[in-house]
Amino acid sequence: MEFSNLALNLDEIEKKFPDNAIEFFKDKKLCLFKACLEKYFPGVRWGIQDLLEELQLKVETCINQSCCSGTFFQRNLITRAQFAAINERNLNEMNQLADLVLFSCNGCYNSLLRGREFLNNHEVRKKTQEILNQLKEKDNTENYPGKYEILENLNLRLVHDLDFLYLIRNEVLNSLKFDLKNLKVAVHYGCHYLNLSRDKRTAETYLKDKTKLDELVTLFGGNPVDYQEKECCCGWGASQLVIHPKEALKVTLKKLKSAESVNADFMLMPCPTCLYTLSKPEYREKMKKWYGERLDIPTIHLNELIAILRGCEEDRCITLRRKSPRLDEIFEIITQQ
Amino acid sequence: MDEYSDSDWNWDFYEELVDDVDENKNMIQCISCGKCVGDCPASKVTNFNIRKIITKVLRGDKSVLKESDIWYCYLCERCTRVCPKDNINIPLLIINLRNESFKKGYGPQYNDLRKYVEMSKRFLTSGVVVEEPLGDKLPQERIEELDEICNFARIKYVFKASRSNKNRAKRKK
Ligand code: SF4
Ligand code: SF4
Repeated sequence: MEFSNLALNLDEIEKKFPDNAIEFFKDKKLCLFKACLEKYFPGVRWGIQDLLEELQLKVETCINQSCCSGTFFQRNLITRAQFAAINERNLNEMNQLADLVLFSCNGCYNSLLRGREFLNNHEVRKKTQEILNQLKEKDNTENYPGKYEILENLNLRLVHDLDFLYLIRNEVLNSLKFDLKNLKVAVHYGCHYLNLSRDKRTAETYLKDKTKLDELVTLFGGNPVDYQEKECCCGWGASQLVIHPKEALKVTLKKLKSAESVNADFMLMPCPTCLYTLSKPEYREKMKKWYGERLDIPTIHLNELIAILRGCEEDRCITLRRKSPRLDEIFEIITQQ
Repeated sequence: MDEYSDSDWNWDFYEELVDDVDENKNMIQCISCGKCVGDCPASKVTNFNIRKIITKVLRGDKSVLKESDIWYCYLCERCTRVCPKDNINIPLLIINLRNESFKKGYGPQYNDLRKYVEMSKRFLTSGVVVEEPLGDKLPQERIEELDEICNFARIKYVFKASRSNKNRAKRKK
């Protein structure tokens, strides 16, 4: 038994709907995967939710979805089978209400694909089913069929927000009130988007340069700038910032500095974990203290940027706790008539 | 080059790791080209060298479990992308080695679990890693399921530590 890759087949949609991919999504039920870190950056959720509602797509979130638990697996706090069981539970719940799940976080996206990938290992699959059977035995509420089963042929498909927004880029562009005013943007894809093989179908799509975020910046009237550390990690490194903060912040520092050195106005990314690492004031302070360098470059998530460009109220796009003079300035420049 | 001679080959460790995680078998294809090291974020800021770790494992050198090196990997998957060989899953190997290190009691020395007490508690009591979810809370039955799934996992011991810390604080009061 092979557990297929649940990632949405992007090539197929592009081929079938070369100019109007939105048609593919019109009759689909979409579910936004709730990334834990959206709590700190609500604009990441509202940015995409508001857009989808305006485009009259059917969108909701799943109350029964838990955290993807990738953090705990990557820290050796749960086993592969436990991770896969948490994953199957989430997939089954979302499968009840949606055709497609959208991800605002590289980490969650990677986790859900990885949990499924683990099921290809016979031992892990057996243990995962045993865990789910225990849940079944204890459950005395009404169940839908297959609630605690590993479903071989799930219809549900997973898609990263960046891939999704790129597919419907013409509609996104039409919904914008402002443009990027030729601002210089340093894009950061994040390791678990850039290096991910488990969502790809061919070696070519895996190995080729990733350009979608750059292309979106250009489309929105900005100027994507190249910088030395473009493909490098943000420094989070699956908790390296917790285990070895001094070394990890060197990675973060290099990244931010490299973007500042080409005079980027801000850094743009499709992941709230990278955003957290690259923007947290406490980390910026530590970099100043440990390495004597103050870095001011603002950082924005793609979904937040879309909210700003669509003319949403500032508080709905950018969290107040992240306010900084440079970020305010960017907001002012973009939203001036 | 490495300080090993041909007589140092020993497959026991490799076989143990493959027994535990089947995917580790692909490691044998490693040609020691070092491409993974060139692009590795950990190698840019520390002495971490994944090529050397793989060589040690293939020579049966279990000292990797005792040393701090394996704790420096970012699990970023860059190496997997640049490696000329198929399916050498380095992040999974690292997670596996860290697990073995934990089992032998070296792990906590390098990865202090006290740092994860709050996060583990939040996950097992509310299903998220932040203080509160954005929007609706996870229903209680679902939280109980997570708790059941995590039985006997390290996360449970970390969670218990959070409760005994609380009790200790209460007693002090
Ligand atoms: S996964 Fe680990 S070894 Fe591989 S490139 Fe990233 S930090 Fe280096
Ligand atoms: S890139 Fe691959 S083959 Fe080369 S040293 Fe690293 S793991 Fe071995």
